[in-house]
Amino acid sequence: MRRMAHTLVASMACASALALFGCRREDYSRPLAFIIVPSQDNPFFKAEADAAAQRAQVLGYRTRVEAHDDDAYRQDNLIDSAIAENAAILLLDNAGADSSISAVRRATKAGLPVFLIDRAIEADGIARAQIIADNSQGATAVAKIFMNAMGGEGEYAELLGRESDTNAQIRTRGFHSILDRVPKLQMVEAQSANWSQSEAFQKTETILQSHPHLKGIIAGNDTMALGAAAAAIGAGRKDLIIVGFDGSPDAIAAIQRGELKATALQPAVLIARLAVDEANHFRRTGSTGEPERQIIPCDLVDASNASEFRNFEHISSSANLASKR
Amino acid sequence: MATMQILTQRDRLASSSARTALLILRGRAFIVLVLLVLTFSALTPLFFTGNNFAILSKHVALSAILAIGMTFAILTGGIDLSVGSVAGLSGIAAGYVIANDHGGTIPAILAAIAVAVVVGLLNGFLIVRAGVAPFIATLGTLYMARGVALLSSSGRTFPNLASKSEAFAIVGQGSLLHVPVPVCIMLLLYAIATFIASRTPLGRHIYAVGGNERAARLAGIQVSRVKVFTYLASAFCAAIVGIIIASQLDAAHPATGESFELNAIAAVVLGGTSLSGGRGTITGSLLGAFVIGVLADGLVMLGVSEFWQMVIKGAVIVLAVAIDQFQVRLQARLLPFLLRSNPEAGT
Repeated sequence: MRRMAHTLVASMACASALALFGCRREDYSRPLAFIIVPSQDNPFFKAEADAAAQRAQVLGYRTRVEAHDDDAYRQDNLIDSAIAENAAILLLDNAGADSSISAVRRATKAGLPVFLIDRAIEADGIARAQIIADNSQGATAVAKIFMNAMGGEGEYAELLGRESDTNAQIRTRGFHSILDRVPKLQMVEAQSANWSQSEAFQKTETILQSHPHLKGIIAGNDTMALGAAAAAIGAGRKDLIIVGFDGSPDAIAAIQRGELKATALQPAVLIARLAVDEANHFRRTGSTGEPERQIIPCDLVDASNASEFRNFEHISSSANLASKR
Repeated sequence: MATMQILTQRDRLASSSARTALLILRGRAFIVLVLLVLTFSALTPLFFTGNNFAILSKHVALSAILAIGMTFAILTGGIDLSVGSVAGLSGIAAGYVIANDHGGTIPAILAAIAVAVVVGLLNGFLIVRAGVAPFIATLGTLYMARGVALLSSSGRTFPNLASKSEAFAIVGQGSLLHVPVPVCIMLLLYAIATFIASRTPLGRHIYAVGGNERAARLAGIQVSRVKVFTYLASAFCAAIVGIIIASQLDAAHPATGESFELNAIAAVVLGGTSLSGGRGTITGSLLGAFVIGVLADGLVMLGVSEFWQMVIKGAVIVLAVAIDQFQVRLQARLLPFLLRSNPEAGT
């Protein structure tokens, strides 16, 4: 019994020590900017969340960053806690175009203005702003580079993202709007690798077995493209033409090494900063000064301009933004 | 006298057919594997090639290695849900050491194993000392290991490991006499594990603990030590998998290994190990892992969509367990026949 009590006390002490260690002291007089992104183990969402938090802190907010793991229910709970904590603005990279509508509406009704970044919802007039990267334009741009690199003919395979994800669908539609028009380009496999690097690695190895004449792989994001590149190098197929999407720092480094051909960089940092600026503008004047839906074009990155980009932004874009405001 | 003769003859017939039925059921994983290989070879000519089998075995190696530790844990009546996260954490540990130039390949591998051992000991402590049910204890360490992996890399990848340390690439990408290194590691670990399970007192103790923990304790077996060993073994296997993946991808990513534990459990169950412990074999798990791997790769080669792959994989797992239950019941019902024809055949 005594031993149990000891264990209990010890574990409670450990837990509270951990909790203390985990928090930082905050200045509660500042307004709270609540930032919710899909995950923090993905460099893209991490860059997005960091950029938003940094900008908000510069503008005098205290910030909280949370992740919903693409789970609409968890997103609901997080939005509830944002309302409960009396947040001043909510920046949300949402968990689903349809399933997020009610949560956004609830926040808006509770007087918490919502600014959507990266992913839109299927409803207008609820969020104050929906700022997204132009996935469709990015996908067609990448597909054109891919088509040219393939010389307009040969076998290729497509690695799709998680098939329930809106962006996965928009991207594959964008790819095919270009590639399906070229009769000699033949898609021999289309497999989902769930955005995952190790899954893309294994699927590519297997696809290379069943299609030895494969000439290229078009991937729905950079993580999968990097997995495919590792498999291609392992199989002695450095000649394989691989393109990705996102513009992650790892992918840009791979482009510079010649392992990937191109990627479309989603200006996540730019979008996050824009959203925070508009949110701040809205708090002061009652209007963002911009239309609700804003679509920011993706940047095409290949070997010729790879050095101009770092961590999801064009190096000159911060300067552009400064001059715009 | 005459009636007696007829009866025994019928008995003998019944007992021999019972024996055949049981034999087929016991070897079902192997039979399913052979059928799968034949089917895929018929459907796509490139399936039955040495090169493809090398790659296939390399894919299988990951879940097969995890299945070794998992088999031990399940044999004692436990389970280890943390293996996927531990693989991710170990990969990050290796990546951290290499990316920060803390001594290269060997220290990286040692760091990966050391981190896993800590989690394994924690699992063992929670289960044996704190009395937390294995399912809950390892569910907790699953989250903790994943969280620590994310914390220590702040969500980023450690890329380009081979450029810092060339030897590290061998673990996942090299091959020994045309056999990929991961497959060699898998075979070596299976040889060791099979030896432990069938030839050592420790192995017998593992089965005894799973069969009847109270009886094992009363027979003087140190149940706690046996259990801690199984979770250590499981964590060690996870570390090896983490190292292999980091080496294959030439990058360590903190989200590596998500839901790997489910593949490992599926392999163990397909191999005929009972989730309630005490019954099963190590080699069965290897067969189980191959069944899942052949299915996954074969379906990709045929160009079957991801959604159907999931449906088929799930159906195969459920079917395997259903057959397992059927075998147990059949065995009980046929026992009298088996005993009548041969008094020693009771086991």
